[in-house]
Amino acid sequence: MKNITIIISVIVMIALASAFVYSNSSSTNDKKTETTTSNGEVQKVILSYKSGNYYPQTVTVKSGQPVEISLDSSVKGCYRSFTISSLNVKKYLASPSDSVTFTPTKKGTYRFACSMGMGTGTLIVE
Amino acid sequence: MTFKQFIKELNGNRVEGELVKTIFYSLLTSFVFLVVIYYTKLMTVENLVQKYGLFLLLSALTYAIITPAIRQVRAYKELPCMSGMMIGMTIGMISGFMPGFLLGATNGMFVGTVFGMIVGITFGVWNGKSCGIMGTMEGIMAGFMGGIMGAMTAVMLLNDHLMAISIIIFIVSAVIMFSLNFMIYRETKESQKQIEEDHLFTIILTFTLMAATTWLMIFGPRSFLFGG
Repeated sequence: MKNITIIISVIVMIALASAFVYSNSSSTNDKKTETTTSNGEVQKVILSYKSGNYYPQTVTVKSGQPVEISLDSSVKGCYRSFTISSLNVKKYLASPSDSVTFTPTKKGTYRFACSMGMGTGTLIVE
Repeated sequence: MTFKQFIKELNGNRVEGELVKTIFYSLLTSFVFLVVIYYTKLMTVENLVQKYGLFLLLSALTYAIITPAIRQVRAYKELPCMSGMMIGMTIGMISGFMPGFLLGATNGMFVGTVFGMIVGITFGVWNGKSCGIMGTMEGIMAGFMGGIMGAMTAVMLLNDHLMAISIIIFIVSAVIMFSLNFMIYRETKESQKQIEEDHLFTIILTFTLMAATTWLMIFGPRSFLFGG
């Protein structure tokens, strides 16, 4: 067999395999959005762990009202070190009863993450 | 000039003339294995292609770029010391990093590290010994480091474009392995190959690696990150 034939065969094999993987890889990410309700009181958010990340990954809160975030027992390891660096929020939430409270005053979209940046999510302040 | 000669030799009678065929046989073995195992055993696994498809494809491609270099080194048997050290380091590092990375991305740090180290150190020593103890040591160190680094990189990038970085890392690894093929050619231009081999070696090696990778990826233990 000539090299050119082999190279074409290799390319065809890779293309077919890639096409198979691509066509079967339609994303079904669990990117649930959670909007907290508030009556002028503290807006409570409980995050859990699902598919290698925080769940829900998007949280919507209202500006000018305190937000209390806690992590349930499914969240473990470095994911318990919770940070929103642009709001200067950083706390190690050792147990589900621990929480971090802050009041977002500026509307916008903020990234929350664990201290190593492995688990991430979005906080939308309306 | 030498690079042009190398490209010409890919069609020649030396062992370099077998490199493209080795890639072909390795890929063929991997794909046949994956198709057979998919239709006989893995069809019932939920979201198989979505979860593991890209990583299994990259595993097949990774072994297809590593086996030609192993074949080339084996053919010349003994090499100058500096070349042997470079061979031990490159093969140890890439064959530790890539499997470590791919298993780190699906199973977590522990399985990725252990498997990456085993493959990396084994191949590093096997090929590095072509120049004696220095190459062997280089192979051990590179395999050890590559296995840990591969798994660690994957776990650190889990939520940050993991798929894209997997492809980028594979492309860089392929360029490195191709450069190694060229380097070995340059160093052995005047030598004759010592061992004549058919492609059974490639097929057995690829099959073993693919079987181990697939089994670990789908049925192996998982870290907390993956619900283990």
